[in-house]
Amino acid sequence: MALNGLKKAVTLTPSVCTLPSGVPAAPLINLAVRAPADPHAHGHSGPRADVAPRWSGGVSRTSSGLVSKSYITLPSTTPFTARFMHTSVAVKSAPEVPDFSHYRANDNDSNRALSYFMVGSLGLISASVAKSTVTEFLKTMSASADVLALAKVEIDLSSIPEGKNVVIKWRGKPVFIRHRTQAEIDEARETKWQSLRDPESDEQRVKKPEWLIMLGVCTHLGCVPIGESGDYGGWFCPCHGSHYDISGRARKGPAPLNLEIPAYDFNDAEGKVIIG
Amino acid sequence: MSLSTTLYNTFFRRNSIFVGSIFAGAFVFGIGFDSGVTAFYDRWNKGKQWKDIRHKYVEAAEEE
Repeated sequence: MALNGLKKAVTLTPSVCTLPSGVPAAPLINLAVRAPADPHAHGHSGPRADVAPRWSGGVSRTSSGLVSKSYITLPSTTPFTARFMHTSVAVKSAPEVPDFSHYRANDNDSNRALSYFMVGSLGLISASVAKSTVTEFLKTMSASADVLALAKVEIDLSSIPEGKNVVIKWRGKPVFIRHRTQAEIDEARETKWQSLRDPESDEQRVKKPEWLIMLGVCTHLGCVPIGESGDYGGWFCPCHGSHYDISGRARKGPAPLNLEIPAYDFNDAEGKVIIG
Repeated sequence: MSLSTTLYNTFFRRNSIFVGSIFAGAFVFGIGFDSGVTAFYDRWNKGKQWKDIRHKYVEAAEEE
């Protein structure tokens, strides 16, 4: 037993010694010390100290009058009781943490700028790739250069006498070419076009006043109008009765728009027109 | 203020500016890349393309 007592004394911290009576004595220990303030406790370290809790007794009103009771076997006020003195080995120092200073960045600002720069560069290249993917894919849908070259039509204008219509085929659609007389030009120019369904002046529709070139497809449902007929001396669509005037403008009937003008150019040297 | 701080405050601080400058940069980069590749292609194939040898044939046709 004495040996056991000696062994136990060996495991004590140096600040604790044993009195001859066997009672451990720690003369320099501050028994009033408490755990440091808990930042999450909001200043409370337990139940209120200024008021006796209800379970410790108190005055209660009964049928026979006021009764005061106090219980002597109190439960512990806290689930944890701090041990102010212990026999475990004292911790010599804080656990040793490896030195990471060699791996740390010298300048956080340049590191941050570099990170954002790399992200931005990747975004820039991705945006370029996405854009070129979309545009290259859309280019495959447009007509190639050889198809566009074949899709032009050249007409010799000298073979069309004044006051006559010529219908030619261009990209599968009929094209009307009208060599207008001066009277027809005057009629087209003097029309009050501002109040028409699709207001367009004659100057907007022709490049040379004597040549009216337009697609011969009715803007209503795609029939081919008949030339030199209708109420306005221009074209008349037999399908649903749309009338077009001598400038190809919708004047009567269900047609919502004027006859369409294709892209064309005059070749003055050879007296030709190139449609397309 | 160092270069990296200036860069961060100018472009990266606001996401709208960051994304906007990425798209603007992609636009400029696309144009620059296209013209650069085209210039390289023309220099590499100098004398082989139609626009380089066109003057020989077009002038000959006009003389006939």
